[in-house]
Amino acid sequence: MEFLRKPYTAIVAGLIACIVLAYTVGGASAPQVAQRIAAPVPAAIAEAGGGDTVRARFSLPNGWPSRHPVLTGAEGLSESTRARIAHAVAALPGVGGISWADGDLMVEQHFSPLHCQDDVAALLRARTIRFEESSARIDAASGSLIDEVAAALRPCLGAVIRISGHTDRSGSEEANLALSRERAEAVRGALVRRGIPNAVLRVEGMGSAHPVEGLEPGDPANRRIEFTVVSTAPLVPTPVDTPGPR
Amino acid sequence: MPIWMEVLVLMLLAYAVGLGLGWAIWGRES
Repeated sequence: MEFLRKPYTAIVAGLIACIVLAYTVGGASAPQVAQRIAAPVPAAIAEAGGGDTVRARFSLPNGWPSRHPVLTGAEGLSESTRARIAHAVAALPGVGGISWADGDLMVEQHFSPLHCQDDVAALLRARTIRFEESSARIDAASGSLIDEVAAALRPCLGAVIRISGHTDRSGSEEANLALSRERAEAVRGALVRRGIPNAVLRVEGMGSAHPVEGLEPGDPANRRIEFTVVSTAPLVPTPVDTPGPR
Repeated sequence: MPIWMEVLVLMLLAYAVGLGLGWAIWGRES
């Protein structure tokens, strides 16, 4: 152990020991810790009005247990219910910051729709975002259309924008649901790369449940992406904007 | 952040405090 007499070697060895210990010992006890934190969560969600559809996942996508839950299954709930659930879960002992699988922004429910929804609808009336056959990869030719959509959405950045993917009725409904959601997520990714913040975009896959009005459910023209302005964040005046008493 | 990384942060903090204290008490004299 002669090498440990050099101070820097010893310090680095200590650092490595810390990392190894944290990963092995901390990692080994983490599942039980996460389980214990997660135990009272379903009851709290149900009490806050989430029923049993809203679930909290206490692990990262790669499976590592975490104290920071990701909440799923709140697609149909109002913003105030989501906020109540979030507060109830975050108030439980041991729970870290929470996030929603489909977007985080907490906003007011009542609003007058902004013109940008019409702008985007007008863009998409004439042209469509195309995908490669039975894949969620956006066709290269649709890039410029997405540029225009991003530009049209930019004035509405205070609002929550829902991206819904639709398919026609070919294939199984399960696969259609998954594909429509993947396509909506691909559009969200493309918009985020063009500077629209991830937090204001919600995605949902509708499958073939909502065909275009006046079209047969099997019509390929039902394959589409729709944008809806869900709600707007309240405008909070900054101190500069607010006239003082004097 | 996974739990083992939170453990790591705490351990590194404790390690840094320990190193600092050790240096302040014994390291300066020699």
